[in-house]
Amino acid sequence: MSIADVQLTLAPNALIARVTGEVDMSNAEDVGATVIKATPNEAQGVVLDLSGVEYLDSAGIYVIYGIRASLQARGQALILVIPSASPVHDSLRLAGAERPGEVAEAVDEAIAIFDNAPPPGS
Amino acid sequence: MADTRRQTQRAHNLGPGQVVLLPAEPIAEPIEDRPSSYRFTDPRLSELSIEQLLVELLNRVQEALEVDTVAILLLDVDSQQLVARAAIGIEEEVERGVRIPLGRGFAGRIAAERVPIFIADVDHADVLNPILREKGIVSLLGVPLIVEGELIGVLHVGSLRPREFGQAELGVLQLASARAAPAIEHARLSAALQHEHDVSVALQRSLLPKRLAEMVGVKVATRYLPAREEVGGDWYDVFELPRGRVGVVIGDVVGHGISAAALMGRLRTALHSYAIEGHGPGRTLELVDRFVQSLDESAMATAAYAVFDTYTSVLHYATAGHLPPVVVSRSETRVLDVTPAPPLGAFPYGRCPEHELSLESGEILVLYTDGLVERRGIPLSTGIEALAAAVRGAATPEDACASAFADLVPLVGLSDDVALVALQSAIVPSELHLTLPAEPKTLSHVRRVLRRWLNERGAGEGDIAEITIAVSEACANAIEHAYAPTPATFELHGWANDGEITVTVRDDGQWRPPRGHNRGRGLSIIVAAMDDVQIDRTADGTEVVMRRYLARK
Repeated sequence: MSIADVQLTLAPNALIARVTGEVDMSNAEDVGATVIKATPNEAQGVVLDLSGVEYLDSAGIYVIYGIRASLQARGQALILVIPSASPVHDSLRLAGAERPGEVAEAVDEAIAIFDNAPPPGS
Repeated sequence: MADTRRQTQRAHNLGPGQVVLLPAEPIAEPIEDRPSSYRFTDPRLSELSIEQLLVELLNRVQEALEVDTVAILLLDVDSQQLVARAAIGIEEEVERGVRIPLGRGFAGRIAAERVPIFIADVDHADVLNPILREKGIVSLLGVPLIVEGELIGVLHVGSLRPREFGQAELGVLQLASARAAPAIEHARLSAALQHEHDVSVALQRSLLPKRLAEMVGVKVATRYLPAREEVGGDWYDVFELPRGRVGVVIGDVVGHGISAAALMGRLRTALHSYAIEGHGPGRTLELVDRFVQSLDESAMATAAYAVFDTYTSVLHYATAGHLPPVVVSRSETRVLDVTPAPPLGAFPYGRCPEHELSLESGEILVLYTDGLVERRGIPLSTGIEALAAAVRGAATPEDACASAFADLVPLVGLSDDVALVALQSAIVPSELHLTLPAEPKTLSHVRRVLRRWLNERGAGEGDIAEITIAVSEACANAIEHAYAPTPATFELHGWANDGEITVTVRDDGQWRPPRGHNRGRGLSIIVAAMDDVQIDRTADGTEVVMRRYLARK
């Protein structure tokens, strides 16, 4: 059994990537590559839904920064979904990492941020 | 054909090529008294397989009638054709798979009209099968094979020289056919049943899990034995679920044979699908019940489903019309409480209440089907007690399965399928001493072992989460820095002392200085998560010693 899974859904303005399971050095790069490859150029950005993540280590944090950097280079934004009770918060806190992007409690909230944002290039 | 019918009553003195339908009336002379008759009344014939039986009959007919060829064709009901099944002197018939349509040619007419036919000269008669001519057969005599009014085939003999087959020969052939037909039908029926049995067993085996994945925190053993007579729909399944949980299922589809085995496969898939959606055992069984209700055919099954959490050793279970699980511990064996719930597919809106218990380190959960404990004339509770007695004191799941089978499965005449699954809550040592392969996939394994070990040491959720991430980061460093060319390993040790947890991770490599601004995060996490961290870098390798005081629960 693979320790993580990525489910991709296209919303009108953004790609929603839902990651579930455990992200560590064994799969973090694959998760990052999967998200970047699936992001359409015309999207405003990516909603990275980490609400189903049970474990995230430093390799996973590194990949989130990698995703943000790739998106920024294309003028796209990254919004993270991390509910307050998520173990992802523990990892970020222990790593002393700054927020790797705008954080929402739920996917709906994240999509609303994109909907209200001006279209890219305007 | 009308022409030959008129000649039915004439048996002798025919011109070349004339066909005679011989009377099927009783033979005047009592054939049983003839020396040749023993050949066809031999009771040993009924013990032979169909292939052996046919060959034996052909030999005996040839010997009794001193003919050159003998052949048996059997009716294939679906195609309404006679198929050559065994032959002497014209073996090509069988090899070429000769098929004769009912009603046509020599054998076809014997079968369709259910009368014996004599052909004096093949050259001048309506013979469909070219092999008969090729072999130079001149005269032929054939009789139908009939069982309880049903035609099952044709038996015929041939001569390479012109020969007048009369009442005497016909009598012998009719006796042979009367004896042979039921034996052939019986053998054919058993062969068909055996085939169905083989197919069911193959199907069922293909639907059961092939190899149980090695899982951390549990040991699992399974047994499955199909019934000798009729395969039922017993099944079991073992699968991993998110968050360190393991699902175990046992079930029994009502019914037998291929259809039961096929339904079993669907239920197994349905249950697994609902389980990975995250539903607990009770809800999962309720959803499978709705699935069974939605099927066109009337289907019913019993099942027991349990989810074991390898982090916390908590077991949740539910049953639907199924026998109660048994738990083996060091001191006792107990039959678990179950709230009676109807079988899957029995009633609309069935409810499956869920139970919870702690499966302590080393305890074994035993799930089984009724084939193991149900014996005619013996109360079911006695059978369950016998199972409990058989598995008492088992040290491993494998032991439990072996004892249960040794004591409860009869040597012969198993009348129902038996399936058995035993799951043991892994024995967690008070200290951890592990040598692990330096590969990234080791990390999730380490975390599972550690979470369970910390839980057993009395650590709370927060402690478990933070110690686990720190140790996993230390292991990731060891893996990253391991020397590549040979398969490398690293060591992990853990012990608890007076509320303090100490974990060390030791490798043979050199920790390099952090590269890039994110590479140092692993070490930051370790330092932040633990109360005390020492890193000892030597020429032989690196050792990280991590300590943390557990919060009072």
